[in-house]
Amino acid sequence: MRKIEIFVKRVICWARRKSPWILHFNTGACNACDIEVIAALTPHYDLERFGVILKGTPRHADVLVCSGPVTRQIESCLKRIYAQMPSPKFVVAVGSCACSGGVFNGCYNVKSGIDKAIPVSAYIPGCPASPKAIIDGVAKLLASLEEANND
Amino acid sequence: MHDSHDVRIPVGPQHPALKEPESFIITLRGEKITSVNIKLGYNHRGIEKACEERSYVQDLYLIERICGICSHSHSTCFAQAVEEIAGVDIPPRAKYIRTLIAELERVHSHLLWLGVAGHEVGFDTLLMYTWRDREVVMDLLADITGNRVNYGINTLGGVRRDVSPDQAKAVLKALDILKKQTDYYVEIATKENTLINRLSGVGVLKHEDAVRLGAVGPTARASGVNSDVRKDDPYAAYGELDFKVITDNHEDVYGRTLVRVGELYESYKIIRQVIERMPEGPLTQKFPRKVPIGEASSRYEAPRGEDFHYVKSNGSEKPERVKVRAPTLANIQSVAHMLEDRYLADMPIVIAAIDPCFSCTDRMVSLKKDKQHKECLTWGELRKYSIAWHKEHGFDPDVLNLKYQRGLKS
Amino acid sequence: MTEENIIVSVEAKFPQLKGLMRLPRPRRIFVDVQPEDFRNIINFCREELGFISLSTITGLDELDRFSFIYHLSREDGILINIKIQAEKTLPQIHTITDIFVAAEMYERELEDLLGVKVIGLKEGRRYPLPDSWPKDDHPLRKDWKMKVE
Repeated sequence: MRKIEIFVKRVICWARRKSPWILHFNTGACNACDIEVIAALTPHYDLERFGVILKGTPRHADVLVCSGPVTRQIESCLKRIYAQMPSPKFVVAVGSCACSGGVFNGCYNVKSGIDKAIPVSAYIPGCPASPKAIIDGVAKLLASLEEANND
Repeated sequence: MHDSHDVRIPVGPQHPALKEPESFIITLRGEKITSVNIKLGYNHRGIEKACEERSYVQDLYLIERICGICSHSHSTCFAQAVEEIAGVDIPPRAKYIRTLIAELERVHSHLLWLGVAGHEVGFDTLLMYTWRDREVVMDLLADITGNRVNYGINTLGGVRRDVSPDQAKAVLKALDILKKQTDYYVEIATKENTLINRLSGVGVLKHEDAVRLGAVGPTARASGVNSDVRKDDPYAAYGELDFKVITDNHEDVYGRTLVRVGELYESYKIIRQVIERMPEGPLTQKFPRKVPIGEASSRYEAPRGEDFHYVKSNGSEKPERVKVRAPTLANIQSVAHMLEDRYLADMPIVIAAIDPCFSCTDRMVSLKKDKQHKECLTWGELRKYSIAWHKEHGFDPDVLNLKYQRGLKS
Repeated sequence: MTEENIIVSVEAKFPQLKGLMRLPRPRRIFVDVQPEDFRNIINFCREELGFISLSTITGLDELDRFSFIYHLSREDGILINIKIQAEKTLPQIHTITDIFVAAEMYERELEDLLGVKVIGLKEGRRYPLPDSWPKDDHPLRKDWKMKVE
């Protein structure tokens, strides 16, 4: 039984690593990072060649790609989305606002960073984060999944 | 969804099964919208307050990040207000460079919009091609300013970077490519009857209503309102340049498409003039350490319409008051009006047609059938419903996609 | 119609404004008016002088009082900035949504961020603060400090 469990786990991890399904969510950003995420999916950068697929619902997503500094209004939504994702789940904070609040750090009505609301697996800085940086960040996350899988 | 009772649908930047916040609360009877209630503010960050707690220069870079698509608009509008209070007239070369970046921003914004509009009706081929063309502009902007978005080209008193002769040549070369592509989009927009029918008569805003409700930008100009801040209240180098204000009388989403495509051509024209006539000289004018006491109202024609900034100085290092009115806010009431007594299936493209800056992602629809039972739809599902509904009524985007994938030259 | 003509027309109709209108630069008129006059003045600007667009309403906390600036524009680009004041002890103004429908969002902003009562503004959801924000908390007031969590 043990060998089968390990095998199934490897297959699932491989599938997740080869074709991560992502959910994109904006927590009150200026849209620059969101546009760059979508640009990363267009032919010029083509994130889809890594098997990355944009899904519309957290129940099918492996990775939550978040932009924005988390406004108070959106905080509970963000937490619920995270709760709805099946484990194991990963969160990527895209852009300086998502990492630390960016220029909005200290503004009333913002929490100043995704990790103030939910755990973050990878931080991609930039204002905005360029599509190249986003691809690099996602690739690094996938590589770290592989490493964790091998441990 | 075939319900004869009134159904209230909150639509907003939320996820299914979650409560607040919604952007639009729609009451539905059968397939038609009977009333629209607007709720905004989910990305209210408290920027105006933050401006009072930071210096003018810090505010310049904060304000640039109000919106990632019209960042230069906000930055320039603010800089103009502060420069007016300080009595500083920036050098001519700086005005031209600001205008160049402004028009490049308008081009990338309108191309982005064309793609989003295509996406909302299921014509994804258009999305892929316009966003590919948009990259030409992004590369130019990155080369000239150092960043793809949030350019940071402005400083108080002028601009921070110059445009080299090589960069100028690259811009002119890019314009040739862009014009050729735009010719193709015009052909699609004016000859593809299924698309024309899909966009016509949708999101109707009569001229009188556009004026009464305070619509701005392409949304207003598509209803025959001849208003463009670049012409009416010139700023930067616009007073010296030759260009037309594009208006249209269709009063619908089709009209808004024609206006934006027409504006692309005018932008190419303006950019060409800016490059050819760029005056020599310094990039900045000396700016006083302290902004004197005073106030100024500044206006700017952002891609979405009039951007308005008011700044009041009390002579200290930080502004006393900064007020920002972005163009989308001015168009919100028009959208509510446009949706009334129309089909739910038209909602995605009608909202997209004002080119809203509150988010182009994650808008969700929650369907309340009765007080106990709550069903939720994602925006993606509303889009699918819209596309399926229109397929039944004669518009098949799959046919369109296939046709243009074969025909479009790469 | 030039800026000077506009000033002359306004002063003719509202003599109390004589000498008070400022023209700091082309296409910009500023004037401070009394609260009891401002609705009539705004109506006159719209009906007779072609100021058919309301860009926004700016609310200011000037420590001992509140000020409100109504920014109206014409098709030829001339912008008039009409300022009124209200006592801090009784911060209220009248709505202009019957003259400018577009004023609604801007007046809601004043109520939410400054805590001003706009008399005659129809019931509606608050803007722009979230529903969970306390009703008596107005961030744009000068004495407002962010509560550290």
